[in-house]
Amino acid sequence: MNLRHVTLIARKELRGLANERTIVFAVLLQLFIAMFSSFLMVGLATLYDPDAVAGFSGTRYAVGYTGTDSVLRELLEESRDFRVYPMDLSTAVAALKERKLNAVIWVPATPPDAVEPVKITLYTIQNDIQATVVNVKIKDVLLDYEEQLRDLRTDRLTMEPVAVAIPPSAGGENFYEFVFGLLIPLLVFMPAIISAALIIDLITEEYQHGTLETLMATPVTFGAMLWGKIAACLVLVPVQAAAWLLLLAANGIVVQNAVPILLHVTAGSLILILIGAFCALHYRERTSAQFIFSTGIVVVILLVLALPANPLNLIVRLAIGAIGAEHWIILAATAAAAVLLASLTHAYADRVGGMRNNRILQDQR
Amino acid sequence: MHEAISAILTISRWEVKRSLTTMGRNVLPLAALLFVFLILATGFAQQRGVHLQDGMYAMVTDSPDLAAVIAEDPRFQVTLDSADALRTGGGPVDLVVAGGRIAAADTDRGRAALAAFARDYARYETWVYTTQEDLFAAYPLWIDEIPVKSELDFLATQQGQAVGAVPRRGTPPVPEGSVEAVATPSASLDLSADDLRSELVAGAAEDPQVSRYADVLSSDPSDLAFKTPSQLSPPLPFDSIVLIFVFIFPLYFTSQFFMMSIMNERVDRKAEILLTTPARPAQIIAGKALPYLILMLAISLLLTLANGAPPAIMLPLLPVILFFLAFALFIGMVARSFKELSFLSIFFSTVATSYLFFPSIFANVHVISLISPLTLIVLQVQGEGFGAMEYLYATSLFWLTSAVLFALCTANFTEERLFTHTRLLSTVRAFIGSALSTARPHLSVFLAAACTIPFVFMAQLMLLVLLFNLPMPFSLVTLLLGAAFVEECAKALSLYALARKSPGLLTWPRLATLGAAIALGFLVGEKTLLLATLAQISESVFGAVLFSSLQVLWLPLSLHFIGIAITGAAVKLGGRRALLPGLLAASLVHSLYNSFVILGWSG
Repeated sequence: MNLRHVTLIARKELRGLANERTIVFAVLLQLFIAMFSSFLMVGLATLYDPDAVAGFSGTRYAVGYTGTDSVLRELLEESRDFRVYPMDLSTAVAALKERKLNAVIWVPATPPDAVEPVKITLYTIQNDIQATVVNVKIKDVLLDYEEQLRDLRTDRLTMEPVAVAIPPSAGGENFYEFVFGLLIPLLVFMPAIISAALIIDLITEEYQHGTLETLMATPVTFGAMLWGKIAACLVLVPVQAAAWLLLLAANGIVVQNAVPILLHVTAGSLILILIGAFCALHYRERTSAQFIFSTGIVVVILLVLALPANPLNLIVRLAIGAIGAEHWIILAATAAAAVLLASLTHAYADRVGGMRNNRILQDQR
Repeated sequence: MHEAISAILTISRWEVKRSLTTMGRNVLPLAALLFVFLILATGFAQQRGVHLQDGMYAMVTDSPDLAAVIAEDPRFQVTLDSADALRTGGGPVDLVVAGGRIAAADTDRGRAALAAFARDYARYETWVYTTQEDLFAAYPLWIDEIPVKSELDFLATQQGQAVGAVPRRGTPPVPEGSVEAVATPSASLDLSADDLRSELVAGAAEDPQVSRYADVLSSDPSDLAFKTPSQLSPPLPFDSIVLIFVFIFPLYFTSQFFMMSIMNERVDRKAEILLTTPARPAQIIAGKALPYLILMLAISLLLTLANGAPPAIMLPLLPVILFFLAFALFIGMVARSFKELSFLSIFFSTVATSYLFFPSIFANVHVISLISPLTLIVLQVQGEGFGAMEYLYATSLFWLTSAVLFALCTANFTEERLFTHTRLLSTVRAFIGSALSTARPHLSVFLAAACTIPFVFMAQLMLLVLLFNLPMPFSLVTLLLGAAFVEECAKALSLYALARKSPGLLTWPRLATLGAAIALGFLVGEKTLLLATLAQISESVFGAVLFSSLQVLWLPLSLHFIGIAITGAAVKLGGRRALLPGLLAASLVHSLYNSFVILGWSG
């Protein structure tokens, strides 16, 4: 196999991608997803954790307090988030409907240390973003109240949990985990999947458009053609993944250990690309090859995810810097698997390509 | 009519037979095997758990009990150490829990670890408390949450006003309208302690990493009759992404086969044979699409039943299926190569998925969520259901865009279009060109402009999503520019396609009359769709919008005219190269007008 021919084919395929402007779509896609995920983060963080935005913190919400007087009323008044109006229930609910109040609470006459629980009724506005915010704020006050009631009834408990004083700021949604534990492994592995789909297109196109015979008439061998295409697809992966990491950094999400991450992604994507190439060589027809490949890839990804210390988990831990040098062992294992698969593919390509060449030769006779 | 149906059925039979023979011997057995593997792998993954977020956080504690509890969460690497050793510490540790106190590292990871710990701890607390003999000592406070419908909501949020009340000191607010008597709520829970306990246990037993995603379809926390304070906060809205994977993804996957079938007709030129038959293009397309439509309906019905979801969710899925088929047809007809086909389809699926996913995040929170059919599915799964108007609102854009695309592709299902491979943009231009009539140019550009409206709405809603999170003045400016650019592109589309189709047609007087027709078509389409979709929100709003927009109708009309006139003049003077500068200039004028109107109204 001639290395010059391999690079020749690789460059031809990359030029083809550039010419068709399809690569523009890939870039657009990246930008699109980046903006979308930052919307998810920033937008929802402000929506569900109002304190995340300083502008919200000064707002006071109006609460109508109805029913029996209790400690809860004092707690609400002490909180800087609310302005409490003692009212009668019907008026308060009518005012709530007109948005003159943000919520209405009704408290029963149940004594705090009674056998039965204290059941309060909370009226909020349906289908409203602000009602959600008010709910989050009221929850804090109610948790305090629950704690007080529980203390009064503590001698009725038989066992208590190990006490840990969790700071009140600890609540809220874990966006860090969403970004680093889900989004980043997904994003860096997406180029790998795109490239694996691409290799199927590149190979089946030669068969279905009938251009393979022409190509085989040139000094380029079948093997050189195959590896040239694989190289073109593989080169795109670290480039795209690096672009992701840069975009994330521009969005203020700094990923640690970028170089090892790129190495892991490249090794993993070589395996995916080889599986794709295998399917394409076997079926020589896009629909079948893509169908089998995409079903197969789901099986592979599920199995990989079920293993501890899988490459995707390693990417998560590398990205947050929560892993030592042991990831190099996994990288070596992945690379070894890729090399094994590569030699298998090569042998298979020799068989398929050889047969094909023979047939062309026979046709010519 | 009968002949048409039989032609469609014949082509459907061909299609099924052909895809079975190409896929037949080699693919189907392997596919069946892979399917078995898939089930096995799913079972394996369920049993072993998904190890994606393992070992993200490191925690040190002096409490053996706590160490045992937290070690069950694979996200934590827990080390047990004596209290003395903790004080000296060392090493990269996110959390230190000692003597009932907790300290988190002052990093993002430390804070995330604290949040994860707080959730684990809450589940542990719940577990301890629910095993108590006296449940009401452990859970002394219960909340009955009653949602109250406010009639003002859509109008208020539409106009960007502050939706909440502005609290004043002292005197309580007095309602302006009539006060209806509200019955005093009962002071006792009408459920037994055991029922409540089992609800609490069910909620606490969930492994948040898996069940949060797995249980979206079956159970829903808002079903709880009464809540404890810790159950009060709204659930994380990412759950609807599960619906995407369960319902939308298989549909997208199946539509790929249709896309490929169309592409194959072009690659091996088999469509030539089809075109020589007496069957008309519409019948060929319908016949080819029918097997896939049935397959997709069957798949979604199967998924619905398998997940125990209500069958009514098929209703919102139907327009989504048609939407996917329409785009599959379009992409299959315009792609030049397999590579282009792949990229176009990946791009389309991402955009469509986000369009479906984003608004449904706000299900139960805001009416805007209704623009996605997925929200209807969320509502149906929650047992709330939806009405005819909500259905119309959520699905009309999908019905309309699918119809327009099918019509466009039918008009172009000719030998000339199917077998010429040109650049993507010029292909699209040629597609639109052949849908327009040179004999009746005014009527056709009028209709074409009106037909672009659903696409424009979708694109603008998407822009809103994307630009939402930029810093404030910047997001508003880019949104104004982007929205104007989308509208100008949509208007220029038919004029430019017509001009390229028959260059002699575009004289200066023609430019003026065609521009007027486009502006009118655009305005009519815009207002009709806006009224149709807004009407369901509130009858009073409907009246207000209709009235006010009729008063100022000449303003947007002249604006649309000026926009298209600028683009048209640029193309007439400078030819093809002047299109983009013309569009940009028109967008600039358009957005200046818009910002003037918006600033004028708000200031």
